[in-house]
Amino acid sequence: MVLTDLKIHQKAVVTKVNITNALLKRRILDMGITSGVVIEIKKIAPLGDPIDISLRGYQLCLRKNELSQIECEVIK
Amino acid sequence: MRVCLVGNQNSGKTSLFNALTGMNQKVGNWPGVTIDRKEGIVKGTDLEIIDLPGVYSLNPFTSEEKITRDFLLNEQYDVILNIIDSTSIERSLYLTTQLIDLGKRVVIALNMCDLLKKKGYHVHEDILSEVLNLPVIKVSALKNEGIDKLIKTLESMDKNQISSVKIFDDDIEKAVAELSLKISVNQRYNALKILEEDNLYLKKDHPEAEEIIQKLKNIYNKGLDEVIADERYNFIVKNKSLFFHSDRQEETISDKLDKVFLNKYAAIPIFVVIMALVYFLSVGLVGNFTTGLIESLFELIKTSLRSGLESISAWPWLISLLCDGIITGIGAVLNFIPQLIILFICISILETCGYMSRISFFLDRLFRKFGLSGKSIIPFIVGSGCSVPGIMTARTIENEKEKKVTILLTPFIPCSAKLPVITLFTTFFFGSLAWLASVSLYFLAIIIILLSAILFKKVYMKDETEHYILELPEYKKPSFRYVTRDVAEKVWSFIKRAGTIIFVCSVIVWFLTSFSWTFQYGVDIENSILASIGSILAYIFYPVIGHLSWAATVSALLGIVAKEQIVSTMAVIAGLADNASNGSLIFANSRIFSFFNGVNGYAFMVFCLFSAPCLGAISAMRKELNSKKAMFKAIAYQTLLAYVLASLINGIGTLVMLII
Ligand SMILES: Nc1nc2c(ncn2[C@@H]2O[C@H](COP(=O)(O)OP(=O)(O)O)[C@@H](O)[C@H]2O)c(=O)[nH]1
Ligand SMILES: [Mg+2]
Repeated sequence: MVLTDLKIHQKAVVTKVNITNALLKRRILDMGITSGVVIEIKKIAPLGDPIDISLRGYQLCLRKNELSQIECEVIK
Repeated sequence: MRVCLVGNQNSGKTSLFNALTGMNQKVGNWPGVTIDRKEGIVKGTDLEIIDLPGVYSLNPFTSEEKITRDFLLNEQYDVILNIIDSTSIERSLYLTTQLIDLGKRVVIALNMCDLLKKKGYHVHEDILSEVLNLPVIKVSALKNEGIDKLIKTLESMDKNQISSVKIFDDDIEKAVAELSLKISVNQRYNALKILEEDNLYLKKDHPEAEEIIQKLKNIYNKGLDEVIADERYNFIVKNKSLFFHSDRQEETISDKLDKVFLNKYAAIPIFVVIMALVYFLSVGLVGNFTTGLIESLFELIKTSLRSGLESISAWPWLISLLCDGIITGIGAVLNFIPQLIILFICISILETCGYMSRISFFLDRLFRKFGLSGKSIIPFIVGSGCSVPGIMTARTIENEKEKKVTILLTPFIPCSAKLPVITLFTTFFFGSLAWLASVSLYFLAIIIILLSAILFKKVYMKDETEHYILELPEYKKPSFRYVTRDVAEKVWSFIKRAGTIIFVCSVIVWFLTSFSWTFQYGVDIENSILASIGSILAYIFYPVIGHLSWAATVSALLGIVAKEQIVSTMAVIAGLADNASNGSLIFANSRIFSFFNGVNGYAFMVFCLFSAPCLGAISAMRKELNSKKAMFKAIAYQTLLAYVLASLINGIGTLVMLII
């Protein structure tokens, strides 16, 4: 399962970051999306993309394209 | 002692810099307000403070983040003052762990402490200080709290007070220690970079690293860059419960506000309404009343000066220079100060309240279709105050091509200096709908921007911008003190421009309209130097206004000096020609501009808005595009587009008027 599969307000634990672009992956890691972090889908932009997620006490907007390359497991 | 301020974007670096040094640098609640480094001194001490652009980590992603990284690695300084937004402490401390690796003295300023209680957070700075083995001071840059204590701590820093904490697993720490022995500067930082296999650190320079990296990779089963990032965050999370507690409710005020402002159906209409409101307030509301007041004030000064000078029988040319040239020219632009104040207040609030990032967030999808991204929105909105800072904020855009296109398109947004032109024409020709006409120009600018973006996408950007990473800050109540200071500063610089550039230009315009080629004073205005130059150029300008007018032509062209000069030139010419220099009188009473009507007036505005920006913006473009050729291309594109568009509007509009 990847982050784009989550519904709004659902929470999940990141298991793997599969982003291929090295520089982008680096930045995604730096922003705190590392394996084990809990992420909640907070808002979806009115036009469907990007998506605002909350993690580590702050909110970050990313596009679906990147989110779909991050694997996760839903927590109930 | 040199102290550099390092922190995440939006953590309050500039606010703290201002609190420490007493300067008024630009503050804003969106990433990227500090573009170059700024230096200042704390009064009464030997502390020199350097404000650097915000960074999330020491792995730069944009050109402005690179400035900070390079500074930290290569320049001389004594202490790193790491400023942390204490309401998002977990992410902020990630950077701290990297700063510690530099082996310098680090002090932490826990900023925004005034917000902690409201949000239900508790931070114990003593424990954090113990965990990280460095001084931690709670401050509020906004409320000026804890600043004295911070200064004292900085002053009493011990030379050897260098933090060292064990952040990583034993395996990695051991590898770092081993590699460090072979490195001369920034040992720990460089050793980690080698392990991360960062492109900048070629493995062939460190053959001994190969084996170490392989061994570690076998242990962790993934790239070491990932392992190192994981471990940094693990270290923070592991200790967080010691110094941080939260009894925050699930739904914050920001969440509630976002239900409205980011609502699926309402978000874009609300944005349109807000921008329309900005123009309604600044052009429509204060418009006639205050302008009338200031106009009559200048009229009074002029008449009393004139009669005073006449009574002592001063030279007529001197009287005319002072009254018809200088006072008229300067007065024509100072008239618009009330409107500008309102516009500046609106923009200042938009910038600091957190809405800007939201606009970027919900328009990203739309802008992407046009080859731009949500990140380009920020320069555009900053540009509605002034193109120069707008062009400079484009630096936060990661994609080079997108950055260039944004720089080129930012001057299309009507800036505050264009407001006098807009107000002058719209109030006279559109009366109570003046604000609507102004708003229409704003949205016309957006349409032109998007259409131009498509064109550029076709020409040289085959690919869509590939990613978008933006922190969404919480809403913040704009600070009254900051907004007033910011507005005062902008108004002051407008006044200063009136006293310098506009002053000089008005004198030149007066001279050229009062004298003939034989330097004879007091000739009929149609025989003046300016008229003869202008009447040649008027042929080129004919399609835009449908009339051969040297006066309108030179006025529009002088906009390149400063956009408010257009209004000033018109006033001086109308004053000399028909003694009708004041606001609406320019159109009502002067023969020279009486040909203007709603249609060609609108076309004239369009030309002034979209053609080459003022010299200030041009030089900002040159600097940010980093090429003279690209700059000239940009100006040529802008001017050509303005010319064609304005001519079309005039042509079609005139036709339509004939039919109805
Ligand atoms: N409540 C509160 N707001 C602050 C404080 N310091 C800064 N801000 C606000 O945070 C935003 C970002 O500040 P700025 O100094 O531009 O941050 P920078 O990007 O790190 O330079 C602005 O809206 C400031 O008014 C503080 O101590 N308390
Ligand atoms: Mg700043």
